[in-house]
Parts: sequence; C-alpha cells; structure tokens
Amino acid sequence: MGTPRNLAARLLRAIVRMAPEESREWALAMLRELDFIDGEWAALFWAIGSVAAIVRHAACHWRRWMKHETKEDGKMNEKGKKALGVGIGLFSSLMLVGCAFAILRIAGALFPGLDIDHLEWTHILTVIVIPEAIFVTAAVLLWRKRGPVAAGILTTALVVALHVVAHLTLHW
Amino acid sequence: MRLRLSPQTLLVLDAFLVRADEWKYGYDLSRATGLKSGTLYPILMRMAERELLETQWEAGEPGRPPRHMYRFTPDGLRFARTSVSAATSGGLGQVALGRILSGLIGSG
Repeated sequence: MGTPRNLAARLLRAIVRMAPEESREWALAMLRELDFIDGEWAALFWAIGSVAAIVRHAACHWRRWMKHETKEDGKMNEKGKKALGVGIGLFSSLMLVGCAFAILRIAGALFPGLDIDHLEWTHILTVIVIPEAIFVTAAVLLWRKRGPVAAGILTTALVVALHVVAHLTLHW
Repeated sequence: MRLRLSPQTLLVLDAFLVRADEWKYGYDLSRATGLKSGTLYPILMRMAERELLETQWEAGEPGRPPRHMYRFTPDGLRFARTSVSAATSGGLGQVALGRILSGLIGSG
C-alpha cells in the first residue's frame, strides 16, 4: 500500500472514530469503498471528499439539533447566546489551526524530499501568518452582526500570537 | 419529501434508474456519474434521510469487510422517474446538461 492510500485509510479510520453516531455508518461506508478504488491518488482524493461530506452531514445534524433545542427551551437567555457564540468562534478558529497543522504534516509525509516538517518558515506561514490573517479578517467582518463569534475568533488569534511571542522570547 | 434537484442529484437519480431493482455501491455510482465522494455522498445521505433510498450492508465473503449498498425504495423509484422525466422533457434538459458537464469534468 503506497503512501497516499495509506494516508487515505488513516484519515477515514480517524473520521469513523470521531464521527457522531448519525454519521458513523456513512463514514464506515466510505472507508469500505477504499479497497475498490484504483489508483493511489484517487484513493486519497476519495478520502478527502468523504471527510468533507461527513463534516457537512454532522454540521447539518448539529444545526438541526440546535434549532430544536432552542425551540424546546423557548428563548435561550442572552448570556447563553453569547457564550454559545464565543464557543462557536473558538471552536471554528481552533479547527482552522488544527487543519493548517494537519495539511503541513500531510504535505511533509507526501513529499519527504522537500523536508517541509523541518523548515521553520513553512510552520510560521501555514500555522501562524495565514490563520492569523483569516482570524482578523473574519473578526472584522463578523464584529457587527456576530459579535460573540468574532470575540471567540479574536481570543484564539490572541492565544496564537501570545504563543509566538513566548516561543520567540524563549528561543531567540 | 423535498429534495433539491440539482444537476448532480439528477445524475444520481438517473444512475439509480439503470437496473433500479439492483443494489448499488458508492464507488460504482461515483464512476457512473463522474461525481466525487464529497458531492455524491451528501446526495445519498439526503435521499436516505427522506426515505427515497434504502441502505444495507452487503453480507460479504468471509474475511472481506462488508460494503454499503443502496437501492430505491418504491417512493424513491416513483420520485426518480417523475423527476428525471420532468427534467429531460423540460426546457432545461438538466440531466443532459449534467451528463455533458460530467463528461467534460471527467475528460478534463
């Protein structure tokens, strides 16, 4: 089994483990199809598409559940809404940093010759500069209509920035 | 039982209509329609949620993991026949358009 197919299998197995109950059967179905796909890269693209499909499916269920819960409870109080907004902002921005890091690791595994894992500038660009730029842009765009979400995103941006400052202070 | 009839959905319905009584696999459907897994599976999931599709795990040979299979429910079959014939006879010709687009994507 080549590296791309191996990565695809690992990715789908991880999704099967992490997927919520209602999406797990579908994730498993996509994993089982992997053995029948011709071509290493086709298998990897299949896995990436499958992950996107599972994330969308889980997000739809979560949204529906949230709507239902909100209806059931009547009106969620203001504090609860704000806390939820901050939570969504924190979660989505942390997911973005996690995805950036995962992309870097996958690129390192796929192209070992480039030695991406050991180049510091690739880490700085992928995990810090690009996500920070996205966070600031998203926070500015969301500030008026979704203030708590923007606050959550800015909190992550601040934590990442503080992490960089601490790293620079300690190592340089 | 509302399902958004995008050209991709029509392609999937069309693929299911070929020997509609037979169970079909995800990857075979992907090849037949030219759709990637990220497009195909959300359509299958929506169809299954609306009970247009029934799903089943194949009782595979020993030592081989089972595969997930899909087939129209009677409601699904009716819905697909109506939708596909309406789309092909309609001015838009969405299925034909979808096939052309899929062919272009496949060859490109």
